[in-house]
Amino acid sequence: MKFFFKSGKAKIKRRLVVIGIDGTPHSFLQKHVDAGDFPHLQRILQGGELHRMNSVQPCISSVAWSTYMTGKNPAGHRIFGFVDRKPNPFQIFLPNSSHMGAKTLWEMISEDGRRVAVINVPVTYPPRPVNGILIGGFLSTDVLKCAYPQEIGAELKNWDYRIDADANLGRTDKEAFFEDLNVTLERRLDAARRLFEREPWDFFQLHVMETDRINHFLWEHYENQDSAYYLRFLDFYRKVDELLGEFYDRALNQAEFIILSDHGFCSVKKEVYLNQWLEDRGYLQLEGDEPHSVGDMGAETKAYSLIPGRIFLNLAGREQKGSVEPGIQAETLKAEIAEALLSLTDPDDGSRIIERVFKREDLYRGPYLEEAADLIAIPYDGYDLKANVRKPGITFKGDLVGMHTYNDAALFIKDRRIISQDFGILDLAPTILKIMELEPDAVLDGRPLV
Amino acid sequence: MTQKKTERGFTVWFTGLSGAGKTTVSQLVAKKLIERGKKVEVLDGDMVRQNLSKGLGFSKEDRDINIRRIGFVCHLLSRNGIVAVGAAISPYKAIRDENRKLIGDFIEVYARCPMEILVERDAKGLYKKALAGEIKNFTGVDDPYEPPENPEVVFDSDKEPPEESARKVIAKIEELGYLEPEKTPSGYTKEEEEKVNERLKALGYL
Repeated sequence: MKFFFKSGKAKIKRRLVVIGIDGTPHSFLQKHVDAGDFPHLQRILQGGELHRMNSVQPCISSVAWSTYMTGKNPAGHRIFGFVDRKPNPFQIFLPNSSHMGAKTLWEMISEDGRRVAVINVPVTYPPRPVNGILIGGFLSTDVLKCAYPQEIGAELKNWDYRIDADANLGRTDKEAFFEDLNVTLERRLDAARRLFEREPWDFFQLHVMETDRINHFLWEHYENQDSAYYLRFLDFYRKVDELLGEFYDRALNQAEFIILSDHGFCSVKKEVYLNQWLEDRGYLQLEGDEPHSVGDMGAETKAYSLIPGRIFLNLAGREQKGSVEPGIQAETLKAEIAEALLSLTDPDDGSRIIERVFKREDLYRGPYLEEAADLIAIPYDGYDLKANVRKPGITFKGDLVGMHTYNDAALFIKDRRIISQDFGILDLAPTILKIMELEPDAVLDGRPLV
Repeated sequence: MTQKKTERGFTVWFTGLSGAGKTTVSQLVAKKLIERGKKVEVLDGDMVRQNLSKGLGFSKEDRDINIRRIGFVCHLLSRNGIVAVGAAISPYKAIRDENRKLIGDFIEVYARCPMEILVERDAKGLYKKALAGEIKNFTGVDDPYEPPENPEVVFDSDKEPPEESARKVIAKIEELGYLEPEKTPSGYTKEEEEKVNERLKALGYL
């Protein structure tokens, strides 16, 4: 047990392996463990329970993993979506780690003088320095530039590492998509194995993105057992099961072990274009013959949306072309939009589309609250909120067949009893710090689960 | 401590016949470099001949002195962290190469344009006079021009707008490492952001 004790010296702090399986629902894993489809996870679960966990709102990977890695809610870490805006001058941008306004788990662990190896977690590009290595996630653009320290990039290139599977294939060529997913996962695993063996890590995290990718394009096929892709889909997850087993075994006797996902998945009933809805109702005014995005909005605009379900008032004094006066006018408008959203229905079957509409202050708190959307609309499962402009209608059935769900993320912590009944991904950072016997140096929003 | 290349001064040297677009493109390049946070000084041949080289004529000897003087000033500026933009006909290869050697951080840009187009354009009316014999020693008419053999950038001003030529020059300066690639509000270069955009679009996030 040389990893845990040194004779005559203080106890060596615990090490930890975390495997992230993006967008893999708790219900899906449990169902197939029960059916005997995932033998590795089945044996892993002899050492604990697979818990259902809440995600974060909005439940998309960038926000969820930022919440995971910082232990802060979005107004504490500043990542509110895959797309964001600067209000004045109005600019759309893609938030990445350089915009993240909080310390990450691996930075906290690094500051304790312990070493980390972090592979492919979303919103870690551009790679911020750590004590150890970090390979950026799918917002990376070039293998040579995706890692810290930068030299690792050249090694990754030699290993034919791939940043992400080609999601375009998910739309155009399912066969090629499967092939690409498998190769991308294999290459990632290859890099992970090498680094696991070679690096003197105290904290090791491997993030599997391919699960989210397959779900986006094939979840509907999975839900239909007659689909030609049903078995292929399960076969892919058997590979994931194998890798869980492999890293569980690797961690045995030397490290603690956690598996988690960041959100669940369900089939898309309809895509819902909120900017089209806002335009139809006269809240959004677009300029030009072919407006591309809300960047082309005019001064008559009262509100606009960014994906998913984030609605910003065009507030005077804040937005470049602000038209809504803060105070009573703004509050009245928020109430009016929220009420109208709640009564929005699917034209085909009359189902309600929006389950709740939060004001940002009801959902978030922290130093970046002012940068959050004014309203956050939460859809019923199956209604995927989009923000493209000038769509032929408000609801649409497109070629993305899977969407995220809030309350079906998964969590397994080996040999630990989770005391709480109702918990979320926000609680993971304090939990991990506790497992690693580390005191967080800032007050985190979550609470330890063990 | 070694200085980062992006913090170093350098010289962008425009050469080419009269009217080939040196002044126009060099001004655009200078403007872009200033926008990107560089300190820039332009030494334009016509301007230099009114002060620094006042009194010099157009004999080979005087031309060489003129180009060496501009080169020397570019050298002084460049080594002090300034971007010097030289724009002069500089017809003789040997003297341009002397300047390259002296300055080191030297980017040669060849403004190329066929003679018939230059004569047709003749914005300053000089070709007409030279062809009529009213001006002597006019480069390209009765004085030689030696085109660069390996310039860092060539642009054809009869085929492309000056904005495109300036873009090429800036791209080369970036490629050579003297200028950080331009970043989008997301912190990516334009090409990188297009890549990420495409990925996010494919996933339905844009």
